[in-house]
Amino acid sequence: MPPIIRIVGLTKKFGNLVAVDHLNLEIGEGEIFGLLGPNGAGKTTVLLVLTTVIKPTEGTAFIGPHDVTREPDKARTLIGMAFQDPKLLWVSTPWDVLNWHAKVCGLSADERKKRVRWILEELGLWGDRRKTIHTFSGGMRKRVEIAKILIQRPKIAIIDEPTTQIDVVGKHRIWNMIRALRDEGSTILLATNELYEADILSDRVAIMHKGRLLVCDNPKKLKDNIPGGDIIEVFLEKDIPKKSFEEVKKINRVVKVLATNPNHLKIYLNKAEEVLPQITEFFLKTRIPIKSIQMSEPSLDDVFAHYTGLTIEEAEKK
Amino acid sequence: MISLRNVWIVAERDLRTFLQYKFLLIMRAIWFLAQIALFGLIVNRMLKPEVELEIGTSYFNFYAAGIIITLLYSTTVFIGYDIYEEADHGVIEYLLSLPVSRKELVLGRSIGGGLRSFIYVSPMLLFVLYLIGVSNPLQFMVAFVSLFLFAFGVAGFSITLAVSIKSSDKFDILLGIVDALIVRLSTTLYPLVYMPAYYRVVARFNPLTFAADLFRWGAGIESAVLTSPAIAILGIVLFFSTFTFLGIVLHEKRLEGGGWQ
Repeated sequence: MPPIIRIVGLTKKFGNLVAVDHLNLEIGEGEIFGLLGPNGAGKTTVLLVLTTVIKPTEGTAFIGPHDVTREPDKARTLIGMAFQDPKLLWVSTPWDVLNWHAKVCGLSADERKKRVRWILEELGLWGDRRKTIHTFSGGMRKRVEIAKILIQRPKIAIIDEPTTQIDVVGKHRIWNMIRALRDEGSTILLATNELYEADILSDRVAIMHKGRLLVCDNPKKLKDNIPGGDIIEVFLEKDIPKKSFEEVKKINRVVKVLATNPNHLKIYLNKAEEVLPQITEFFLKTRIPIKSIQMSEPSLDDVFAHYTGLTIEEAEKK
Repeated sequence: MISLRNVWIVAERDLRTFLQYKFLLIMRAIWFLAQIALFGLIVNRMLKPEVELEIGTSYFNFYAAGIIITLLYSTTVFIGYDIYEEADHGVIEYLLSLPVSRKELVLGRSIGGGLRSFIYVSPMLLFVLYLIGVSNPLQFMVAFVSLFLFAFGVAGFSITLAVSIKSSDKFDILLGIVDALIVRLSTTLYPLVYMPAYYRVVARFNPLTFAADLFRWGAGIESAVLTSPAIAILGIVLFFSTFTFLGIVLHEKRLEGGGWQ
């Protein structure tokens, strides 16, 4: 796939804070590309530069053939963005917001009417189309924000945290609509800190941390490349003593052990099925009863933890 | 190249947003009616007949024509508050991400800000004309178009202030002071002849004076007008050009590259 977005040495500073640090990235036409990282990783800043809302301090980005610093007007004709926090005036109604958005994006009156009705019905907002936004819950506002891009159907759809504040049923509906948008010809750039969402939607993902790109590949390759890619999660009846924790690390083929809680261990290892008996035996010997045990493949959370040594939550706190 | 279609779509959004402020619009209309029916009538009764002879019309007529200009002014400056509201809700980021150029965006805001208040004030303006009675429709049309430009100028003025001051509280306070000075140092509420000489110097060059005097001239109460219509039109065109230009340049400069943050 030829790249439709090229980010070249992009740096953005806010005073002394380096929000994005020499980022290089290419996104192919027709891809669903996930930009991952904890809050504060610099994802939203990248998106705002791509949409020409803010200017880079160094470097640039190309939207199709257009340099965002030199031809911002042309770049914006290819882009549509749904923001993380809904950008809506509270005195407006969903009907007005979407109808105007469709109009400013160049849709004809007939097409506008059709698409606005369709999206409001799809997202369960048709009955509330004439109510003002200030009466809406956070999830409803978020749906209006997402609806903008779904009616616009831009060449490049940029979606920042598509399903925050949205219930499980709503999430699946929006994920399907994002896939449908791609199938209709849009390239999707998705910024999220929900790694499961990125995993199931994205063709490729890039993980950012502290403004820098850590890694970029398809989710399967990223997971396969983790040494000790299998995981055994052990939930214990009581907290594990420090000494025993250190001993678990020394079990053959165990690569790494993380204690997300003192009674919840994540053991990264190879050939988990062969090591499992040794692990259960160890806890029997040390008289720490096991509440439950499960084996799993790594997730993108694990990929993030592998590259940063932190969980997403820890990274956000830091 | 500016697309007029895009400019109009941006302006249309401001028109629609304005209609959502139902409470404000109803209150302003009640305020206007109260000013005419209470203040205008009562003060008119307080004044000696010599005043009417001196200004060539009843104070009620004089005041009714002036109060419409203050209403036009005060509803137009509301576009500045909209800009702060949008900054608070992050709507500016959304507007900047749309496929319209910065020039189209800010020009649309200026036109929308002026046009919406002009449309809102129009029925009240016609009501005042009904009270006064128009003697020369052509003369009135000239004044009408000039008021249209005046409204755009005020929108540009409000946008200029809003984008120059980044705090909505400071904007609110400053606008209160500007309002007190610009309305009171004009001929909207009282004739120039009753002002002390040193106030007159300022009042003569006040855009509200130009607008009020022009409207009175258009309504056919020329004897109350001390500014020549040609000078008033020129003053309004100058006011419109200066602040539309300043509003667009400053707004564009502030918006680009995240400067509003």
